[in-house]
Amino acid sequence: MALANRLVGNSSFVPALETTLTGVVLSFRSKTSVAVTGASASCTLNGAAVQQHTTIAVRQDDVLAVGAAEKGVRSYVAFAGGLQADEVLGSASTYLTAGFGGHSGRALALGDELFLRGAGTEFTPQATPAEFRLPMLDSWTLRAGYSSETSNVLNPERLFETRFTIANRSDRMGIKLEGATYSTNSDGNMASVPVFPGTVQCPEDGSLFVMSVDAGTTGGYPRVAKITRMDLHLLGQLRPGNSLTLIERNDEDATRELRGKHAYWQVWLPDIAEVI
Amino acid sequence: MQSAGDDLISISVADTRHAQALASRLRLSGDWIEAVAGIDSVVVRFDIARVDRTDAEHRLREASSNIQVGSGQDLAVVEIPIVYGGDFGPDLPSVCEKLGLSKEQFVALHTGEYTVDMLGFIPGFAYIGGLDERLTIGRLAEPRQHVPAGSIGIAGGRTGIYSLPGPGGWPLIGRTSRKLFDPTLDEPFTLAAGATVVFTAVNKL
Repeated sequence: MALANRLVGNSSFVPALETTLTGVVLSFRSKTSVAVTGASASCTLNGAAVQQHTTIAVRQDDVLAVGAAEKGVRSYVAFAGGLQADEVLGSASTYLTAGFGGHSGRALALGDELFLRGAGTEFTPQATPAEFRLPMLDSWTLRAGYSSETSNVLNPERLFETRFTIANRSDRMGIKLEGATYSTNSDGNMASVPVFPGTVQCPEDGSLFVMSVDAGTTGGYPRVAKITRMDLHLLGQLRPGNSLTLIERNDEDATRELRGKHAYWQVWLPDIAEVI
Repeated sequence: MQSAGDDLISISVADTRHAQALASRLRLSGDWIEAVAGIDSVVVRFDIARVDRTDAEHRLREASSNIQVGSGQDLAVVEIPIVYGGDFGPDLPSVCEKLGLSKEQFVALHTGEYTVDMLGFIPGFAYIGGLDERLTIGRLAEPRQHVPAGSIGIAGGRTGIYSLPGPGGWPLIGRTSRKLFDPTLDEPFTLAAGATVVFTAVNKL
């Protein structure tokens, strides 16, 4: 979303549109500029191909079609000036479970009308440099470390030697991993503990669940790993059927590499430390 | 105190009331991105881009001393009418079998007055402690993908009320029509840590 906003002169957190697997078709009533990033998808403007990762100028009555995600899961469509959206507790995100935020707290439907906040600021049309386009993959590697109940797992090093498959049971709350199960010494009576996006839980049947952006705040299954902060922003693109390998990072290395990642991205996104 | 991940520190506390008090103190301090209370622990998320772990641990240790717990005396009493078993409590038969109780015995032991330990998990989900020891049972080995709103579960000596639909790992023993979360209200939460709830058995929602 920050990358899309960047291309239309917005700051990183201005409300934009997120699509999930399916695309979206938008008819414009006024001229503006848009950009599409995230999941790879074929895009057209009035039927003619347009590129993702570039500023796209649209005129009144133009029709932008963002196709279904080919790789990855979620595309982001940003609009110069940003979208008007319901803000709850300081966020315009849609929380579907409770039905608040975004556009009346629900997924968009055919015929919905969206409004822009304003014309936005002056900016130069541009394209995201190749090195700052996030590659959409079939096979992912995320850096992760131990968490509080990792010692409850028999052979925890196996967490980092397994090629998992992303299960169909995956949404904004959590992502189920298939391909290996783990034995824990938990009896299911653990006192509930705080969990966060990136926390990996292991229920008694030994499967793993990665908490995603809409994670609960507490849970009672052992926390056996945590995806590092620097790679959390990729969780939303893990697609059922994709493979995933976790590679181990201790806290010290995870901190150093995050700071390195920030330094690298700062050239393109000056507020990268707020974004990831 | 221990790591719960690259940007997380977990600290154990005496009980739920200490966890609540410490978490609110940490939130008020403004030193942390997040401070979340568990049943007997608090986890803080700190900004590893700018703060070193040793400094964060030092600050957390200092903030954790002399925690004062509130009494919670002035909170309202909320009745939670529950339809036990049937389609609303699909795990009640297996729970009763494991515990060696009839449905009637289970309901007699479960109804009554309790104190809310905390809210957590999803908006409005209430953790309610103090279950009779005869009702201690573990979580499901595999969490359900779809738990309807209002579902009542028990696990680890507590009752949990699912305020919203979603996944859930507690064996389900009934359902209530009482709404626990309404984002359109000034005070969206029906319950709070320390509130008193009374479970009553009813025949229909």
